[in-house]
Amino acid sequence: MADQDHWNARAGELRSSGQAHRAFDERSEGSDPFDGATGLLFEQAMAQTRMAVCLTDPNQTDDPIIFCNKAFQKLTGYESSEIVGRNCRFLQGPDTDQDQVAKIRDAIHEESVAVVELLNYRKDGSSFWNTLHLGPIYDEDGKLRYFFGSQWDVTDIHQSRAEERHAKAMAREVSHRLKNVFAVIGGIVNITGRSMDARDVSRKINERVQALGRSYEPTLDDAALGTIHVGQAIRSVLSPYDPEGDRFVFTGNGVRTEPNAISAIGLTLHELATNATKYGALSSKEGVVEVSWKHTKDRLGRNSLEIDWKERGGPRVPAAPASDAGGTGFDIADTLLSHAHGVLEKHWEEDGLRAQIILPIANR
Amino acid sequence: MTASMQTFLVLDDEPLIAMDLKYAFEDLDLHAVSAPDNEEALACIAKHDISGAILDVSLGGGETCQPTASELARRSIPFLLHTGDLDRVGERLRDIEAPVVAKPRPSDDVVKQLLAMIE
Repeated sequence: MADQDHWNARAGELRSSGQAHRAFDERSEGSDPFDGATGLLFEQAMAQTRMAVCLTDPNQTDDPIIFCNKAFQKLTGYESSEIVGRNCRFLQGPDTDQDQVAKIRDAIHEESVAVVELLNYRKDGSSFWNTLHLGPIYDEDGKLRYFFGSQWDVTDIHQSRAEERHAKAMAREVSHRLKNVFAVIGGIVNITGRSMDARDVSRKINERVQALGRSYEPTLDDAALGTIHVGQAIRSVLSPYDPEGDRFVFTGNGVRTEPNAISAIGLTLHELATNATKYGALSSKEGVVEVSWKHTKDRLGRNSLEIDWKERGGPRVPAAPASDAGGTGFDIADTLLSHAHGVLEKHWEEDGLRAQIILPIANR
Repeated sequence: MTASMQTFLVLDDEPLIAMDLKYAFEDLDLHAVSAPDNEEALACIAKHDISGAILDVSLGGGETCQPTASELARRSIPFLLHTGDLDRVGERLRDIEAPVVAKPRPSDDVVKQLLAMIE
């Protein structure tokens, strides 16, 4: 074939960008490195690679394709004779993103290496997503000789991305509906409490239900991952206690944990915040609470999540405040945590409560 | 205090939420009317001298509170958006300047936020 003869004749003097060469290197394993490759080996590699490859000649008018391999013909549905001599733009069509095309133009103009993803069209009119790598090839004198283009059909990757977007949209919808459900539950509890003259009870129930709902907000928005971003859950639970956003100092990294650990953590933080609002740092104008979280090992060497809570700037607390009549929120927190083999430790230090939640978690 | 003279509007297609918010106003000796859709909400605005409003954004069937929000804005009546759908609020109601309160939130908190805007 004339094109390949042309290729063979030139192969020895070609020098290309590293990126453009990689495709050949992979196919030449088990033989000499690329530099020692003969034209024959080169031709075999070009013929056999599944990667569609073409060369264009920027020194001719309109930068025509002067070579394309079998994979290129297979991908596009055109014969070599229909391809050679034409500019690559014949693969574009009505839905090809012109911004991507502009990137190709810029790369050619600047003689730089570029990777673009664009919709191309086959001979039969069907379209495919093409990841195009292109770059310049210089001869030994450093003169621009060719442009190298490799095309990769990434339609299936596009498909899975579309599915991922769909899954995210679904997760958002579920999240929205669940928030509404929690709002409705709040309404039922309040209305029932009013009608039975038990508002204080209904308020407490509601606060806990709503704290639980907030704990799960990040999970729902992020459902695909299956684990919860601990920091997001903590911020979300505590947000109503800090309307101005200046009372909590958060320190932690992107630790994630199992969703089932979250109800205990969420409700415990709710009780701590409620207590701080009544008696602690959040009951005064200047008080702040430092909340930090990290992965650690508990006393038995298990992987654990540790959340530290430190209040300061609040009223002096000489000792543990008297508990509310009818059982404190901390009783609930203790019960929930101990069920998950976790602990809540509280130290009533002079400048404020210091608490630590330690909860064993599965390693993820 | 002129509180007893004031009327507030609650727009929410979910009756339990609307009722809960109405009660929260009543707890503060404030009068509130509720509407499940824009048509009724606009009628309420025409009929009553509304002092402030709490609007759910998505009213079911693709309807949003946009018409009511526009009318309130036109009359310079303060209102806030009460929604569980924070992501899409921005897209739908970008032009409307109003605070957003994320559902779920205790009804008296929502009412307090609205009252704070009026003061």
